[in-house]
Formats: sequence, structure tokens, C-alpha cells
Amino acid sequence: MVNEIDLRGIIEQVLKEMNLSDSSASEIIKEAQTRISAATVIEDGCLPDVTEVDIRKQYLVENPVNRDAYYELKQYAPCRLGIGKAGARYKTDPSLQFRAAHSAAQDAVFSDVDQSFIDNMGFFTVQTLCDSKDIYLTRPDLGKKLNEEGIKTVLEKCRKNPTVQIYVSDGLSSAAVAANVADVLPGIMQGLKSYGIDVGTPFFCKYGRVGAMDHISELTGATVTCVLIGERPGLITAQSMSAYIAYKATVGMPEARRTVVSNIHKEGTIPAEAGAHISEIIKTILENKASGTDLKL
Amino acid sequence: MILKTKLFGHTYEFKSLREVMAKANEEKSGDKLAGIAAESAEERVAAKVVLSHITLEELRNNPAVPYEEDEVTRIIQDDVNDTIYNEFKNMTVAQFREWILDIRTDGAMISRASRGITSEIVAAVCKLMSNLDLIYAAKKIRVTAHCNTTIGLPGTFSSRLQPNHTTDDIKGVMASAMEGFSLGCGDAVLGLNPVDDTVENVSRILKNFDEFKNKWEIPTQISVLAHVTTQMEAIDKFNAPVDLMFQSIAGSQKGNEAFGITTRMLQEGRDLMLKRGTSTGPNVMYFETGQGSELSSEAHNGWDQVTMEARCYGLAKRYQPYLVNTVVGFIGPEYLYDSKQIIRAGLEDHFMGKLTGIPMGCDACYTNHMKADQNDVENLAALLVAAGCNYVMGVPQGDDCMLMYQCTGYHEAAALRETFGLRPIREFDLWLEKMGFSENGKLTPLAGDASVFLKK
Amino acid sequence: MKEVILSVGIDIGTSTTQLIFCRLVIENLASSYTVPRISIVEKEVVYRSGIYFTPLISQTEIDVEAVKQIITQEYRKANMTPAMLKTGAVIITGDTARKKNANLVLRTLSDMAGDFVVATAGPDLESVLAAKGAGTDLISEREEGMVANLDVGGGTSNIAVFQKGKIKGVSCLDIGGRLVRIDNRRITYIYDKIHKLARDNGIRLEVGDPADLGKLTAVCRLMADQLAQAVNLQPRGVGHREIYTNAGAPLPENFPVRAVTFSGGVADCIYSAEEKDVFRYGDIGVLLGKVIKEHKDFGRIKLCPVTETIRATVIGAGIHTTNVSGSTIAYVKEQLPIKNIPVLRIPEEEERETEAISGTIAALIPMFYSEGKLEPVAISLTGRYHTSFADVQILAQAIARGAGELIASEYPLVLIIENDIGKVLGNALNVLLNRRKDVICIDGIYAREGDYIDIGEPMANGRVVPVITKTLIFNS
Repeated sequence: MVNEIDLRGIIEQVLKEMNLSDSSASEIIKEAQTRISAATVIEDGCLPDVTEVDIRKQYLVENPVNRDAYYELKQYAPCRLGIGKAGARYKTDPSLQFRAAHSAAQDAVFSDVDQSFIDNMGFFTVQTLCDSKDIYLTRPDLGKKLNEEGIKTVLEKCRKNPTVQIYVSDGLSSAAVAANVADVLPGIMQGLKSYGIDVGTPFFCKYGRVGAMDHISELTGATVTCVLIGERPGLITAQSMSAYIAYKATVGMPEARRTVVSNIHKEGTIPAEAGAHISEIIKTILENKASGTDLKL
Repeated sequence: MILKTKLFGHTYEFKSLREVMAKANEEKSGDKLAGIAAESAEERVAAKVVLSHITLEELRNNPAVPYEEDEVTRIIQDDVNDTIYNEFKNMTVAQFREWILDIRTDGAMISRASRGITSEIVAAVCKLMSNLDLIYAAKKIRVTAHCNTTIGLPGTFSSRLQPNHTTDDIKGVMASAMEGFSLGCGDAVLGLNPVDDTVENVSRILKNFDEFKNKWEIPTQISVLAHVTTQMEAIDKFNAPVDLMFQSIAGSQKGNEAFGITTRMLQEGRDLMLKRGTSTGPNVMYFETGQGSELSSEAHNGWDQVTMEARCYGLAKRYQPYLVNTVVGFIGPEYLYDSKQIIRAGLEDHFMGKLTGIPMGCDACYTNHMKADQNDVENLAALLVAAGCNYVMGVPQGDDCMLMYQCTGYHEAAALRETFGLRPIREFDLWLEKMGFSENGKLTPLAGDASVFLKK
Repeated sequence: MKEVILSVGIDIGTSTTQLIFCRLVIENLASSYTVPRISIVEKEVVYRSGIYFTPLISQTEIDVEAVKQIITQEYRKANMTPAMLKTGAVIITGDTARKKNANLVLRTLSDMAGDFVVATAGPDLESVLAAKGAGTDLISEREEGMVANLDVGGGTSNIAVFQKGKIKGVSCLDIGGRLVRIDNRRITYIYDKIHKLARDNGIRLEVGDPADLGKLTAVCRLMADQLAQAVNLQPRGVGHREIYTNAGAPLPENFPVRAVTFSGGVADCIYSAEEKDVFRYGDIGVLLGKVIKEHKDFGRIKLCPVTETIRATVIGAGIHTTNVSGSTIAYVKEQLPIKNIPVLRIPEEEERETEAISGTIAALIPMFYSEGKLEPVAISLTGRYHTSFADVQILAQAIARGAGELIASEYPLVLIIENDIGKVLGNALNVLLNRRKDVICIDGIYAREGDYIDIGEPMANGRVVPVITKTLIFNS
């Protein structure tokens, strides 16, 4: 960029060579400056949201040999295809889309569930033996046990020996909890209510691994325990949630005793519908007194 | 064997070689999770000092899992050439490190030494190497292998085309494969991680790959990364065309049990490939490994993840593989916490694989719950090419929608080749030129247009 | 999990009657960690009957007993009993559908064909079934542009246009191989419209005339011209509109058809040339095929080979009529199967506003009264605008408000939703109605106004129900 002094210098030089007067020189300079500042005016308007681009519909290859045929074929793949190239590198748009998706995924993992969300759902919060996200991520063993206070809280606040104990946990995606719980949980509750199955006190467990449900099951004495927990985010969505359900879970039981419903998010299984589905699974588990691989669904 | 030293006047004493090996590692969250990592930076250095004085003989005599208990140990020990071993056994780890780095030591000499050492020796010397040491030393060593084409030749750099799909939809898989090939990916292998691990599905995908490879006369190899027994059944039952038989392996018998395999299965797999496989060979196996998998199945016997990883390579060598790659950032932050640890592990694994004498590649990758991003795997990929790595992975824009992790993308191999003046495997290079995707080792404007394969 | 079900297809056409049995394999394609996704993964014809001339008592009446006998005999040959069949379709096609006792035939056959075998007819559905049976939908996936299948039968030509596997449009013309009949070298029958077509073009053709090859070839050429006009290969002439069956609509004129397939009895004469007596079947079918084959306008575009010709419709009926619902649904087992339920469709634009939903339902219900009595109704909507739990409750309330009359009736409350909210909406209605009303709420199914729907007994461990959507049912 040419700065103002340089600009003045250049113009003066040119004018001198053209034999023009000083006053006309300042006029010309003024005009040039107006033009420059006009060029950098901040306009109203908003650039499009790069995260709204439908990857399937995006086709950036220049002059493809058979556009329609490949466009048609790439509809069968959810991955980032037909993105063209800049040299042997990526074009700018897809690069930014990728970065945006990754930023959402990282934020989903490394941020906490909003306290106001927990309050709105009417949950109380307990915590595992993890004191921070870092410890949570690096010490899976500590994420499977409630801390002293958590144990006390559950014993105090949860109704003992309910037929079903449901709770929510951040897991690897706080975004999944925020996006889905308000639809999944009432979906389960409504289903269980219509089947006449009684449900204990729901709550929120911070820094929880799936295995924490075993500890919680032992504390509450629930017949069936179900945790709604954030899945590890991918780039397609950072909001995917799973439900793990187990019949009479105990610490140290085989992983195979859990029944899983995964891929719950608005582009996957619709959260409210997933809730209705989970309530039926819980009913089946109760009828069969078994869960996981012990239960054929 | 002396297990005690002083640092700044403070005495550090270790109870066992196992403890020294663990504490001499660069920092890894997996070693911390196992409760065996150095407790301070100084203790780490003290362990390195102690390790530098250990002899190769002492390392051989102290395998991570006892010979009697573990078939991986037996394979590693039984495959040692005693004549060569005897030449090296009295060296300390420090001396061995300097011998590897010495200007007078060339690749052929190191490859000969490979036959006389065990995986614990390989791991030990790795622990005394800095990152640039690992690059410098690995760069000397070339390990080539031949399946349908030859991988690892000087001047070449290859990639695996990994067209993974959330439902194995064959149209979607092929759409992805086409784009990969059009960008110069896939000279190492066209290899899919299937969602549905049934014999029928694996056979179906293999047949589609084979048909595509033959129709377009692509000089490469194909593989579907199912369990070894599933691939064998696919060959037996459906005559599935398999160029490379795949299996994930671990560094101990117990670790392999967690993968549902025994060394006998691997041998049977290779035997079947030599008898019924579709490729030229003699190198017809493909293995994947990764630091931390033994700990995750509690099969590490108290040893550190670098040593256990080295043992995977010792096991792999028995079956004369065409491809071996570490999947370096897939396992999660409890084993490799951040990009620094991933990059270190990638360089370690590549070096250790080559020192073991196997053709080494790397899946430079990360998951979204790690403190790492795409810049980090691009860094690692560039460092690996500098170190003479055989191949990396390629997925659409680095985003694997099925395994839900990110690794190197379809565009990376071409960019790295151009940056470092390398070419794909020669036959594949010629094929790319014939198809119009590259010219003199550079992508053409047509490259990236997968619709070429759909031309009327 | 795999489950095999048997299906039957019975086609009673203008000239021939046929039957097939097939195997449909349904399987859960989702991993065991997600909500199931059950689909039909395999379709295979396991038995093909002989091809019989459709027995008629007169030009206007089907011989019910004779048809019944053919079917019974074929069941026996194939070792099948009605009880073994889970689904299928009996379809009366072409000219036959206009016979005065067609409805009686359907009723008789559907009873002996199995619990959930549906009886239907109607040129739109027939066009689609014939094209699917011929494989045109699959061919169109490979071809660029639109592909039309012309199912040229005895009495009608059913046209269906596909593009990239999807149906784009249908039409049906009164053009067929048996619309002029010949016995002993004399013309014995001429269908009205053909008589007029010939006369309008200066060809005099009367019953009793000798079968003049030249004259009949000219008539066949006129008929082929009509087909060419129907698929936009020729500008549409005056009077073209009159040739459509039941004054039906032609295809849009902006449909650029790039390839054609042929099915139906006449198709064999188009795909293969036989130099035998062209009147050997007592009609102009062979001649018409020959003329179409040599027609210059059809010669301009690609002719694709088909997997079935004369059996296309029956195979379509046996294989392609059944769908499965979404895998998370709500139903009352005792209420299934239900058949022939007319669809009350809430227009998509009304669905966005909750008030409009109840209003629309309430306003449309009176249309489903027959002789002063309410008939069963299935309410259909996209379900795209109510996906959160709270919105689903609102939707349930709106439906309950609008469907008061239906809820008070003896029939179950049936809902057909496209979007995957069937189970939660069903639960919401059950809770709202205190479980006093049987609710059947299925998703993954698209049904339009004017469609009729059949829902079969649950399969795959109760996860899904088979569903048949009929675009038009036989009008009694």
C-alpha cells in the first residue's frame, strides 16, 4: 500500500513534471485520498455462512469432463469430494469449511455444558474424580467414578431403587448435550410414562465416561440405568449423542452388557424419535431382564 | 548393568531395566496413564543417561515379555542372526546410536545390523534420539518391497488411497476412489476400512476394486482391511481377489489376542496369499500398528508404549510385509496427548520400523479430542518425507467420515512430492501421465477431475 | 438379521393372464449401535406361470371362474398356498379394467391370494409397475437424460418416464395389439378410437373387411405415430389428446426423452424380428411391433434392451409394489393388516402452521363419507416442520383437534409420515388420548392425495410393517 506521504510525493513529482501549480496539486491529492477512503468504506451486509454449505452439492472442479455423472455419483458419499484444487493444494473455500468444522468439534470437546442449560433442565450436577478437562481426557479411569461429594449428592438427592435411572453426561461433546437432551429426554420420559414404567431423578454428571453409569447404578440401585452422553465429534457433526443402557449395571461388568443407541442428532436419528425408541428399548430390557449382547433386539 | 546415576548431585536409582526404558521415553500421556512415566524432566534425563550405558546384550536378555510366555518374544528372538548379533552385543546403546549416525555407516550396513538386534534394542536407541536424529538416521535406511509394484525405492514417495464410507455404499466408495486416483493417490494401495466386516461385504468390495483396477489398468494393489480370518474366508468361499492381506497387530501375545489373532493365523494368512492371492508378491501382507494399543488391552506387561510398538515391527518382519504403518494419532489423548507427542511418536515409529527392517509408512492423524489440528499432521507428513518414509494415507480433504478422524488428504502426496522432488512408484507415475493427471511429476489441470473415469 | 418373505404378482390383462411368485429379503442395514434401518435388500422371481389368454365370457365380461381355475392350478404347480404369502398384488390392467365385472374378479382373487395381497388397477400404477418390471428405472440410472418405457399391450400402451432412477411422469394411451382383431383373414373387431383414428386419416376400415396388409400397416403406422407423439418424438397432432385412456393427461411437452425401452406383449416383436404370419395371433400385435421397430422417429433415439417384456407388469406387481416403513414406528398389532385406506393429505404449505393442520383435517374429513357414514382414513403429512419434542406435542394436539370425528369413530387413527418422527408422534398421541384410541403412526412413507394405502402385519421382530401405496385404485 502506498501511504499518504508517498502518495503526495509521487503526485507532486508528476505535477511538477507536468508544470502544474501547487493549488491544483492539493486538489488532486485530496481527490485521490477521497477515492482511497471510499474504497475501504465498511459496507453493510454479511458474508454467507461457510458451515451451511452442503458438501454433497458443492462441486468445485473446473471444467470437468463429465460433470453430471460425477455430481450424481458423489451424492452417494458423505465425504468432501469434487473439491478441485489450487496447485497441489486445496481451494480456499473448502479449507475454510474444514477449519470451521474442526473448530466446532474442538469447542464441543474442550468447552463445558452451560450452567444455565443444566439449570433449565432442572438437573443437579455431580462430578467424577476428574478435576479438569485435561485430566478427563487423559485419565479414562478417573472418569468412571464419582468423587466423594458426587456420591453423597446422588445418595441424598436420587430416589432409591427406581426402575429406571436416567442421567446426562458431557462425555466428549458438550455441544451434543446442549443440542439434543431437551428433545431426547422428554421423548424417553413420555414413552416410559405411557408404558407405566417409573423413572428416578435425572441429573447431570460432569467429566463422565460411559463406565460411570456402573458406579451410579450401584449407588441408586436402579434396575436399568441409561446415560445420555456426548460422542467424540467428527467433522460432519459435533453434536452427535449416544445412549448407553444397561440392566443392573455393576462396576467391572463386561462392556458387552451395554446396549447402545448412537448417532443421535438432527441429521442422524431425530432426537425426539430417538427418545421414543430408547423408551421402547428400556421396556424390552426390563421384560427380558438383560441388556447388551445378552439381549437380541 | 548399572541402574543408578546422579544429576545435579541428586541420585536417581531405578529398580529395573523396564523402569529405565519407560522413564527414558519422551513425555507421553499413555506412559503416565500406565503409571510408569518419569516423574520429572530431570528423572527422564537420568533414565536416558542410565540407558545410554546399557549394552545391547543386556537388552536382548531382558525382553518385555518372557520368552516362555509370549509368542511375539519368541518370534523376535528366534529371528535374530547370531553372527551379526555377536558383532554388536557389546556396544552400549550410546555407542550403537553413534554407530547408526556415523557418516561411515550407510543404509546397507544398518540393514545388516537389523538382522542381529531385537525390538527392545530398537526401542532403546530410539529413546536416545532427538527428532532430527530420528529423521537423519531413518533417511539412510531404505527398505523396499514388491507386491505388484515396488515400494520404497529412492526418489519415490507413495500414498494409500483410503476411500472409507459410512455405510460401505459401493457407489460412494468408488466416487471417492476416483477422486483419489485423479490426484495421484493410491500407488501404495487402494485400501478400504469396511464398516460391515462380513465375508460377503468384504468380497463384494474387493471384487469392485479389482474390476476398477483392471478396467483402468492401474498398477497398484488392493486390500480391504477386515480381520485376517474374514479375508481368508473371502478367498476360500468367494474367490475374492486379494492383493494384500491386512491385519492390525500388537507387540505381545495378549495384545494380539485382543485383536482376535495368533501368530499362527498370520502365518496361515500369508501361506494362503502365496497360494491363492492375486498379486505377484513376494510381499503380500499389510500391517497396522500404533503406540498405546497394548496398554488399552492391558497387554503391555508394565512396559512402555515405545518398546511395545517396536515389538510390533519385530513381529511384522517375520511375514515379509509390503506395507506397515503406524496409525499414530488415532488412539486418543490418553495415549498421545497433543501434536507434540503425535509428531514425536510418528518419527519414532518410522525410525524404529526401518531399523527393524520393514517397509514403513505412517498414518499421520488426529482425533477431535486431541490438542492437534490439520497443520500438525501436515508438519508430521513433511518431516516423514524428509526422513524417507515410504507412504502416507490419503482421504478426501483429510477428513475420514467413517473412522471420524482426520489424516493426510488426497492432495498431500502430490504436494509433498512436488515440494521434495519425489515421484510416485514408476509404473503408477507412467499411468498418471497416460491418464493425463500428471506431467513430469506435477499434477496437470485435469488432476482432481474424477469424472474422467465416467467419460462416455 | 435377514428375513425372507414371499410375494405374489397376478396380472389380468386385456389379452393375457399371468402370475409370478417372488422372494423379498429384508435386512437391517444399520449397525447394531444405531437405530435400525430395515430395507428390502434382495428381490428375486422364484416362479413364473405360463402365459394364458385372459378368459372372457363376452367382450364386456371376464370369466371369473376360468380365471380362478388358472390361478388355483398355478398355485398348485408352484407348491404355494395363500397362507405362505406375506404380500403381493393382483392387478387388472389395460382394457380389462373396464370390464363390468372387474371388481368382482379382484375381490374373488384377492381372497384366495393371501391375507395381505392387494387388488388394484389403474393405468398410472400399471405404467410404473411395467417400467420397473422391465428394468427401465435401473437403465435410467446409467443413461443420460430421460428414458421412457412403453408397455404396449393388447388394449393400452402404458408409458412411464424415468430419469436417474426416479419416476418423472406417466401416461396411458388406447393403443394396443388387440384393438383390431382378425379371424379367417377378416377383421372381426375394431376398437372405436382406432376406427376414428383411421377414418380421420382417410383410411376406411370396417368389421368384416378382408385383412388387407397394406391398409393395416398404415393403421399401425398411425398408432405408432401416436406413441411417438406421446413421448415427444413427433409434434402432437390434432386429436392426439383423444387417444389417452379415460381422457387421461399426456406427458408434459418439455420432457426430452433420450432413450426408450419397450415391454408388454408387442415388445417381443420390436426387439426381435420374425418373418412369420403377422396375423398368427388373430390381431395386429405383431404388425404393430414391426411398424414401431421400423418407425423413423423411434429410430432416432437409443433403444435399450429390457430384462422382461410380456411379463414386465406381473413382475412389477409381484416385486415392486411392497415397501417397508421406517424402523421406529407406533402401531397396534391387532389392527393390522389394514387395506385400501384412502389418504387425506395435508398440503405441505398448510403443515407449517399448526392451526392450518387441524383446520385442514377437519375440512377434508367430510370427503371421506360414503352413504352418510365415515370410512377409514389415513392422514398423510411430511412431518418435516415438527421435529423437536415440543413441536411434536403441538403437532399431536393439532391432529387430535382436527381428527375428532375420526377419533370418535370405530376406525384406528392412521398417520403416514415421511420424516422419521413416527414413534414419538405415536407416543404423543397415545398419551394425549390416554391410550383410549388405537393409533397407527408409521414413517418413511410418502402418500399423496388420492392414494390408497395398505399396511401389513409387522415383520423383522415387529420393527417394521410392509406398506403398499396405490396411486390409483380400481374405480367401481
